[in-house]
Amino acid sequence: MIDVNEALRYLGASGADDVLRERMQQVARDAEARFRPRYIYRVSAVEHRGEGEWLSDVQLLLPGKSAGKMLAQCHRAVLLVCTLGSAFDSAMRMEQARDMSRAVMLDVCGSALVEAGCDQAQEEIAARFPGMYLTDRFSPGYGDLPLEIQPVICRLTDAQRRLGVHVTPSLLMNPQKSVTAIIGLADEPQRARIRGCAYCALREKCELRKGGHSCDD
Amino acid sequence: MTIDRQKLIFLDGAMGTMLQRKGLQPGENPELMNLEHPEWIRDIHGAYAAAGSQVVYANTFGANRRKLEGTGHTVQEVVAAAVRNAREAVGSKAMVAVDMGPLGELLEPMGTLTFEDAYDLFTEVAEAGEAAGADLAVIETMTDLYEAKAALLAVKEQTKLPVFVTMTFDENGRTFTGCTVASMARTLEGLGADAIGLNCSLGPKQLLPILQELCSQTRLPVIAKPNAGLPDPVDGHYDLTPAEFAQAMKDAVAAGVSIVGGCCGTNPEYIAALYEAVKDMQPGARTYEEKSFVCTPTNALTLDGLHVIGERINPTGKKRFQQALLENDLDYIVDVAIAQMDAGASILDVNVGYPGVDEVTMLPRVVKKLQAAVDLPLQLDSTNPAALEAGLRVYNGKAAVNSVNGEEKSMAAILPIVKKYGAAVVGLTLDENGLPKTAEQRIAIAQRILDRAVSMGIPASDVWIDCLTLTVSAQQDQAVETLKAVQYVTDVMKLKTVLGVSNISFGLPNRMLMTQTFLIRAIQCGLSLPIVNPNQTEIMDAIAACRVLSGQDGECRAYVDRFAGDTAPKPAAVASTITLDEAIIRGLRSDAARLAKEALQAETELQLVEGHLIPALDKVGIDYEQGKAFLPQLLGAAQAAQSVFEVIKTSLAEKGGAPVKKDRVVIATVQGDIHDIGKNIVKTVMENYGYDVIDLGRDVPPETIVAAVKEQNIRLVGLSALMTTTLPAMEETVRQLKALENPPSIMVGGAVVTEEYAARMGADAYAKDARAAVEAARRLLGGN
Repeated sequence: MIDVNEALRYLGASGADDVLRERMQQVARDAEARFRPRYIYRVSAVEHRGEGEWLSDVQLLLPGKSAGKMLAQCHRAVLLVCTLGSAFDSAMRMEQARDMSRAVMLDVCGSALVEAGCDQAQEEIAARFPGMYLTDRFSPGYGDLPLEIQPVICRLTDAQRRLGVHVTPSLLMNPQKSVTAIIGLADEPQRARIRGCAYCALREKCELRKGGHSCDD
Repeated sequence: MTIDRQKLIFLDGAMGTMLQRKGLQPGENPELMNLEHPEWIRDIHGAYAAAGSQVVYANTFGANRRKLEGTGHTVQEVVAAAVRNAREAVGSKAMVAVDMGPLGELLEPMGTLTFEDAYDLFTEVAEAGEAAGADLAVIETMTDLYEAKAALLAVKEQTKLPVFVTMTFDENGRTFTGCTVASMARTLEGLGADAIGLNCSLGPKQLLPILQELCSQTRLPVIAKPNAGLPDPVDGHYDLTPAEFAQAMKDAVAAGVSIVGGCCGTNPEYIAALYEAVKDMQPGARTYEEKSFVCTPTNALTLDGLHVIGERINPTGKKRFQQALLENDLDYIVDVAIAQMDAGASILDVNVGYPGVDEVTMLPRVVKKLQAAVDLPLQLDSTNPAALEAGLRVYNGKAAVNSVNGEEKSMAAILPIVKKYGAAVVGLTLDENGLPKTAEQRIAIAQRILDRAVSMGIPASDVWIDCLTLTVSAQQDQAVETLKAVQYVTDVMKLKTVLGVSNISFGLPNRMLMTQTFLIRAIQCGLSLPIVNPNQTEIMDAIAACRVLSGQDGECRAYVDRFAGDTAPKPAAVASTITLDEAIIRGLRSDAARLAKEALQAETELQLVEGHLIPALDKVGIDYEQGKAFLPQLLGAAQAAQSVFEVIKTSLAEKGGAPVKKDRVVIATVQGDIHDIGKNIVKTVMENYGYDVIDLGRDVPPETIVAAVKEQNIRLVGLSALMTTTLPAMEETVRQLKALENPPSIMVGGAVVTEEYAARMGADAYAKDARAAVEAARRLLGGN
């Protein structure tokens, strides 16, 4: 489930030799066996308003250009929260005391695993809405979408009670490996603005791509 | 209060669900409705009482100071209004509970809220509830056993109210923080809860197996207050109808649950259906298994068979440990704990008694520090009752106490503390007459301790007897007496036995053979909890073999794992040819330590540091800068260097010489920031360049950093910030430090900090990573 290349990239170690890569693989297997991402989501209708995207069922306004661009063709949006839980943080505290070298590898494996959890949630959502197309998921802090939305998403999904996810006054997530995200639902295929052209449904026909550009340039 | 387990008690259903129906808007504070819409609250309580609820929860779930901040209302005001509304609605038809949910902020070590602050916050609510006339207190929806403990202690110590505690479990039988059912049940029963159970998270069907387990782990009445099934993620609706909910709850009552109600998604119709469905039922028979048990929240340890208590956290006769205690170097103590855990200890004895150390403050600090990193139950070891109480108070889970003895004074001082905190206790078989000479005398003292403990309500399974090992070379006849007593206590008194074994061989040659032989004989006599040094391979080998012979090690699996490698050729041939410098560069910790010990035969400590350590670290550092080595390798080398430093420190401590102290550096993650891996990486690397790093931790206010700098005349401060939201705290810290009369140099780093930004806020250096931090420190402090 953990993409070891992605984990190495997070660590700035894409050029790792076989010994280091093998160690990372072991840490990744161990993390997969010990931690399971958990997620919750909530679906809302979207209205496009002058001041931003209005998620009417949860009464949340997503201000700014980034959300507007991502949700332009969407009539529904999903609020997603995914976490590895505090067990991962406990393991990190122990590992940092025992072996800092292994701890930094576990840390990036945790990041990769929580992303994998989001991917899994996304598949589940896609299956719940057959015939609809999902945008890339984007999180508070992406573009001009304010970080202040983070605690609001957690409140609207009841993430504290249902997942044990907290947001501190300085907008940090606790447990550490937790993600909030928004995914739009549309009737037509959506460009892979964040994940890039390789993932995009339009890649074969895209004029921008032929011209050596991407839609997020 | 003793509640009859045979009698059903009906609780109420959801408050939040009902308030939303009444018109509560998202984002509105539900507790303020006590003041703004008292008629809503009265309606809801009244409807539950009419449906059959005998206890209603006042609308005080989040009525604590943290959550009411900025509302303009006090805890007392809101709680009084809530209890009044409930009372007016139900009159004498139902009891009113003051309800306490989670504080909304994680406690240490997960978050930064201290146990003591949590206790104070809960005290306010509980006292306000009692003053307003609540009949009982309810602590609910807890996922962290530590928070539940803080709340429970607050109610028990500051009010006279009976108290129920319910926690929220997942379908895998754990809370979000990993707490097990057994840990929850046995810890909360030990602390004196009147009833315990589960609420929220799942529907009654999913909770049933967890309720069944809970009924076997406690003697207390068990509560079930589940959701109306599972919510649909798309529309948020719960999937059970009132009739289905009631039907499923019959199984819970049949399993032995006697206190029932509903949580999210339920309403008075659910409670009415529940009442009708189960009112004539008799709660099912339960089988409780009394057993010796200690735990952390996530590690529930039933003491069947043979378990090792690690003895190494003890300063007696260990210069390096004494030095660590005097210098407040708790990281060293954690290292000692981890080594024992990795060697196979199940419980760690913790003794921090040493002249010049205030045990009453040190023991709780060490308990918190150890529990943050090591998931083993602890045995608090002290002769000071105040220190034991302070340690037990902050312990998360069920601990053991070492020890009480047969002296009246000791029993009167220790046993009440053991009872209050629900701990297990080691009973030493000695008394005012000194060391007993015979097995019979030992047994008589054991019986006295047991009788007293049981008369105070401490279960026999929580009394572990130490029959005392004496040195065989001095008192040869005593070894047999000890073994006879162990046999009797095990077979006849049916108690667990504890024994420190290494004392047996004192003063003899080939001590290990004698200790090992005595250990094996004692195990044969029934010894269940040997206190040993688990780092001694021969001792753990003997234990592994005994576990096979007793059948505890099923299919010899652990034994085979332990020894299977022995027949393979050892790779030591490679390791033995490498140099100290190579061992450091390749991150081989034990090789580096061994080679450092050898090198110290010919070189001084300082030569070792300057001739080997620093050059080797620099080599890895340069590779790292050039992209030939990566962070795990840099840290691996740093840790190998650390093991060399340990050799040096031990060598100096034994010689009684002054420790090699280099420049002292204060580092901290700034206020508001709780992610500290970056700071910890810098700490690991800097320490191995010989800097004495004073780590102030995470979420550190500027004032704390300034105070540390002033007090210890620090010349360099390192600050880390991860988020744009915490950069202002970094700027403020820099501002305050630079305003000092003799300001220290400051280096800053972290995900969002840039060179330019560092310069703008007035820092002296920007460190993009740990390696750069060392370079900056060298530049700013000179030398090294």
